[in-house]
Amino acid sequence: MRTLGFVIGGVGLSGLAVLLALGGETTAAQPVLTPPDSSAAPAVVDTGALKGPRQPIFFRHDIHAGQFKIQCQYCHYSVAVSTEPGIPSIQTCMGCHLVVSGSDSGAKTEIKKLRQAWNEKKPVEWVRVHTLARFAHFPHQRHIKALGPSACTTCHGDVSRMPQVFKVNNINNMGFCVTCHLERKVTRDCSVCHY
Amino acid sequence: MPDADRPAGMDRRKFLTVLGATSGGALALSGCSTSRVEKLVPYLVQSEDQIPGIPTWYASTCTECEAGCGVHVRTREGRAVKLEGNPEHPVNQGKLCSRGQAALQGLYNPGRVKTPLARKPDGSFGPITWDDAIARLAGKLAPAGGKVAVLSGAGPGSFSDFLAEWTAALGGKLVRWTPFDHEPVRAANRQVFGLDQLPAHDFANAKYILSFGADFLESWLSPTENQRGFAEAHGFSDGDVAKFVYVGARRDLTGLNADEWLSVKPGTEAALALAVANVVAGGNPPAGLGSALAQFTPAFAAQETGVPAAVIERVAREFAAAKPGLAVAGGIGAQHAGATELCAAVNLLNYVAGNVGQTVRFGADLPAGDGYAGMARLEAAMDAGEVGVLLVHEANPVYALPRASGFAARLAKVPYKVAVGLFLDETAAACDLVLPAHHALERWDDLAPRTGVRSLMQPVMEPVFDSHAPGDILLLVAKKAGGLLGKFTDASWEARLRSRWQALAAERNASDAGEFWRGALQRGGLFDPAPEPTQVSLTEGASEVTYTRPAFDGNAALVFLAYPHPMLHDGRGTNKPWLLENADPVTKITWHSWVELAPETARRMNVENGEILRLTSPHGTIEAPAYVYPGLRPDVVAMPLGFGHTAYGAFAQGRGVNALDLLGAPKGEYVAYASTRVAAEKTGAWKKLATVEGVPRQLGRGIAEAMPVAAAKQKLSLEEYHLEAHEPEHEFNPPLEVQALKGWSESQQRMATKGDYTRDLPKWGMAIDLARCTGCQACVTACYAENNIPTIGEQEILKGREMTWMRIERYWEDAETPDQPPSARFIPMLCQHCANAPCEPVCPVYAAYHTADGLNGQVYNRCVGTRYCANNCPYKVRYFNWYKYNDLAWPEPLNLQLNPDVTVRARGVMEKCTFCIQRIRATQNQARVESRGIRDGEFTTACAQACPSDAIVFGNMMDPESRVAAIKQDPRGYHVLEEINTRPAITYLAKVLHPVEA
Repeated sequence: MRTLGFVIGGVGLSGLAVLLALGGETTAAQPVLTPPDSSAAPAVVDTGALKGPRQPIFFRHDIHAGQFKIQCQYCHYSVAVSTEPGIPSIQTCMGCHLVVSGSDSGAKTEIKKLRQAWNEKKPVEWVRVHTLARFAHFPHQRHIKALGPSACTTCHGDVSRMPQVFKVNNINNMGFCVTCHLERKVTRDCSVCHY
Repeated sequence: MPDADRPAGMDRRKFLTVLGATSGGALALSGCSTSRVEKLVPYLVQSEDQIPGIPTWYASTCTECEAGCGVHVRTREGRAVKLEGNPEHPVNQGKLCSRGQAALQGLYNPGRVKTPLARKPDGSFGPITWDDAIARLAGKLAPAGGKVAVLSGAGPGSFSDFLAEWTAALGGKLVRWTPFDHEPVRAANRQVFGLDQLPAHDFANAKYILSFGADFLESWLSPTENQRGFAEAHGFSDGDVAKFVYVGARRDLTGLNADEWLSVKPGTEAALALAVANVVAGGNPPAGLGSALAQFTPAFAAQETGVPAAVIERVAREFAAAKPGLAVAGGIGAQHAGATELCAAVNLLNYVAGNVGQTVRFGADLPAGDGYAGMARLEAAMDAGEVGVLLVHEANPVYALPRASGFAARLAKVPYKVAVGLFLDETAAACDLVLPAHHALERWDDLAPRTGVRSLMQPVMEPVFDSHAPGDILLLVAKKAGGLLGKFTDASWEARLRSRWQALAAERNASDAGEFWRGALQRGGLFDPAPEPTQVSLTEGASEVTYTRPAFDGNAALVFLAYPHPMLHDGRGTNKPWLLENADPVTKITWHSWVELAPETARRMNVENGEILRLTSPHGTIEAPAYVYPGLRPDVVAMPLGFGHTAYGAFAQGRGVNALDLLGAPKGEYVAYASTRVAAEKTGAWKKLATVEGVPRQLGRGIAEAMPVAAAKQKLSLEEYHLEAHEPEHEFNPPLEVQALKGWSESQQRMATKGDYTRDLPKWGMAIDLARCTGCQACVTACYAENNIPTIGEQEILKGREMTWMRIERYWEDAETPDQPPSARFIPMLCQHCANAPCEPVCPVYAAYHTADGLNGQVYNRCVGTRYCANNCPYKVRYFNWYKYNDLAWPEPLNLQLNPDVTVRARGVMEKCTFCIQRIRATQNQARVESRGIRDGEFTTACAQACPSDAIVFGNMMDPESRVAAIKQDPRGYHVLEEINTRPAITYLAKVLHPVEA
């Protein structure tokens, strides 16, 4: 199975993306992203039937994280160093989508919306799926440190199979946190999260 | 620490939109609803120097007064949330006063001018575009010819230089003026030493400090720097403690920190200074002085001042024996008609005692404007019709000059008036065009507050409103007007500043100008070692130093002192709720003005606290509630400046009265704030004082303890000292009770070893040295800023609902003889984080509980508001949200200052000091990511960080190497209310007193 790694060089306003296929020969500026069939994201016909809130752009985690196996931290860049995971800037999206225009008409339409946002300098307003009550503080970096870089699924579910992200676990239910803390015999001190 | 490595990229920020996901975080309440649709708004282009959730720090410079302290600005997601001192800055060395910290509330002030405003035909203001505004101003300049005048309150630096060039190009006049320009000090230095400058003062190395009405801890010259030095000299660390004697008619905060107060008749300080100089010089005055001092004997001074001759002689001998000593004068509260004489006398005193060149260091050249003399020249030009266009930049003379000076009337006659500033203050409101300027945190600039210091400012965030840097306004006008201004062709103010710094780099032979600039930006400026003090000698004027018996304006019985409010200064702080709510450290009154009168005067007039008095001078009448203050002479009444704004935003307007209304038009070179006589009469009306003062006496409870220097030197513990002195430490419990408590205490300690508490965890603790604490309340402001504490306003304060997690208690200690005034002791009071906390077991929902790392936790989302905990807290440090303060305290855009790491508490929740748990957790998170432990001193609480005296030390008590663990071993250490066995995590070190002399 071929792994695609993305290295962005010289990210400026040009947003030039250089794509390198690791483990194979270096491809030119127009790579062909041919997914292995086994992990290809299914075509979505009825978006209305999908779970989770409808987003301004039909961004598919199952294509990006699932089919193309882009690491979570490529976009959610600060999750290992900060309390906040980081929402990718439009520039990050354009790093690839300056050249990647989508293979079918559905994808093409959505990518056009992104490019429009970039050209109009109007950031996309995503609908928030996971919101923690403001009196609870969740340091992402400590959980990544303790559980590893692919521990995102523990709370967020396997987004690499979600065409549209929805809430798998009720993260706002404190029992969800405490169960895990009990299992792993880590602190259950209130003021670790509540202050 | 400051991420100034990437100074460039400001243009890139124009692309940014605020990341709504996290910046909105603190705004919402601690409600349980998660059903709202929330938006995650990403950056269009990620700023290189911002990582969400991690603060970015920028070095900048404080412009709240002329001292020019360096600051570090903490920004989160593109907005400034906290100001702290820059440890590398030579002026304040990492500390910041309340006024400096409150600059943030100037940045986000709802009263800021949001767009350019122009006066409409009907007299009101209407918004206009910048292009229109610049065109209007440019169009007025050419026809005015040389009849252009500029009045600026900016300190020395590149902008002031540019302003001077710009004005000169037009052939106009420039006056630099701020209300307290220290004119008497400079005049005296000219007279005695032939130097027109303000020297630096080395309080830290002084062994004996004599202040003649100089409020050096609050307002005088460079308060944060002075305070740091004063704490070094006057604090106790195994050695001697400098003695501090305060001479003046009113004890201000500085005076309350004195070991001895010489209450002199108002206006006679100079006689005492000269008598002390005479005794110090002995029969051997320095050459050039002749017999100028001979007539000023202690007996003469005693007759003039009312202080016994023996006391004057003793103080003089003590002062002469202490090498070096330091005498200071020139405070506004003693700026009377004889203020120049007083400063000259103090100059002589320092000279004969050999302090000049030691603790008084000329050559530093502290900043001052042109003084009132400059203003008088401008007024004369206005009267003569020589001012066609007046540009007022960050100055508010309509408010800050006595009304009797007639400035407002003169201003009205100027054909075209333009204000460049942040706020629609009294002066701007009288102008024809108002141009909103960037706040210091939004612009590039530099300040040169003394020789060898060039302090930089950089924009730390996008401008809050549609404003421009003043430098850019000048350039835009120059571009539009052309002509005489055509030579100013810089692309922007930033470019002009950078080119100046390039020249500076070349001057310094820096190999790489870019590196030079980035280095300076990261440090906060260019800091050379302090210059060697200039050698000074007496000039001929020294022999003319004399004392004139004070003459007052008016014939009434009482002398009126108007003094700068420690928080509001000259009135520029009155639009910042932190400074209004943070009580005056002396009287503990918030939000409104008051009249102080001595207990004896109050008895004579039969006046009590809160009774509204009418003060009448030859120039005006004002009414304010009385406050009976024992630190005042009976023949004096005093009032703080800073209140009584008629414009300047909703917070400032209609709040109290302006004490300047009683003063006459200034005569001579400065405003005499203490030379008017007033009559006081009762109006029969009352106003309840919005005070946060509790019981003003300790009543034997041993809260703020003290011991004499001798006992401290012997390293006696407080208990040993009390035994030796045969005075009860405080009222002991009866033996049976002690026994019972002991058994209880042991059982509690056994309990404390159970469960999580035995693990290898930190135990956070604090030590507060009362010998260093001056009661300035910088810690309180820092706490408000760090912990999103709401300001609740006068009406709620009256109900006793203040939310100050940290407060400074001021206790009066009665003197042994009733004729002596009481002395003051200050003690910071915050949650003691008791190991055996009375608040915890009474909480029915476990909201108050003990954490494993020794904190007294408060879980807001558990709290149901029974208030049992507050009732059971013996320290009264728990505060209840009675009302929707979170909705009212931060009118937009003030809410942008909120710390996103701290929950904003809702109504019905109990809250209190958390030892800045968000800082503890952030440091723990970082240490964990780096797989290491927490280092001592890696972080500290907001109060300890801010304290200009370095009186507060925070750390892990379980770490034997930590600074706090070492300080807790000090024999002066004690716990407040130790006998009730709460086992607090805060150790206080007793204040060290000089023995009272007869």
